[in-house]
Amino acid sequence: MTALVTHSHGLTFNELKNLCALTDGNLNRHLQVLEEAKLVVTAKIADRHRRQTCCRITALGRKKYVDYLAVLTQVLNDAKAREAGDAAAKGAQGAITG
Amino acid sequence: MEDLQQALAEIHLIRNQVARGTQFRGYGPRCIAFTGLLALSVAYGESLWSTHVRHGLTVSVMIWLATAAISLLLSAVDTVRRARRVHVDLAEEMLQSAAEQFIPSLAVGALLTVVLLRVVPDDGWLLPGLWQIIFSLGIFASCRFLPRLMFAVGFWYLAAGLCSVIVCSGPKVFLPWTMGVPFGIGQLLVAAVLQIGVEKIPEGE
Repeated sequence: MTALVTHSHGLTFNELKNLCALTDGNLNRHLQVLEEAKLVVTAKIADRHRRQTCCRITALGRKKYVDYLAVLTQVLNDAKAREAGDAAAKGAQGAITG
Repeated sequence: MEDLQQALAEIHLIRNQVARGTQFRGYGPRCIAFTGLLALSVAYGESLWSTHVRHGLTVSVMIWLATAAISLLLSAVDTVRRARRVHVDLAEEMLQSAAEQFIPSLAVGALLTVVLLRVVPDDGWLLPGLWQIIFSLGIFASCRFLPRLMFAVGFWYLAAGLCSVIVCSGPKVFLPWTMGVPFGIGQLLVAAVLQIGVEKIPEGE
């Protein structure tokens, strides 16, 4: 999804396979699931006398991905705040016992 | 803690990349069209006024700087509000990208005005043409994130700028219509392109 969302004009199956370091079967399965969820679309295109599969993220896919990034950022910020709080509490306890 | 910082930095990078690949829909056609009509009205008003009262280059420049300031303020407020509504989570990144593309041309236009008026005030008649040429560069820089037809509007401003230089070179005066017509029609063209572009994109893109 990250590869597709940063290439708005789409990627060919081979380009996507290289970027994701996946096997043909594995990538096929991933794309099938994403296509069923209407997050990506695939289409056959003719490029230099051979047909290739082109994958593109949909508007819904882009929206879901941005939502996912927002949630992920929130989770990481919460974890950072908790870690900072724990460190401050440890410091205070150390000062009391010391 | 370092891992969390790194993860957040990577997410920020991805968001910027997503923003760069998304068409900017923050510019509002109605507000842009209004700035075009404002330019035409100011040109009409100034040309009427100049038939009764002769005014110098400084007054003309001040009139158009005030018009530009009003247009910019209105556009900026409208763009920020619209971008936050349309792009929601990506609004800040999209606004930053839009500003990075367009603001340099505005800054160049402002600095050029100051230098030209201070160093060679007699050549102030060049300003309308130069402003339009610089404005065209701002549009060309922004084209990548706007509907493709915007390229044609960039050419309009470039051609209008070059024509303004030619037209003003005869009398060597700052003519109101060399500002009103290029910016009036240009902004109306921008609004039309934005309107067509918006209609072509399905909701939620």
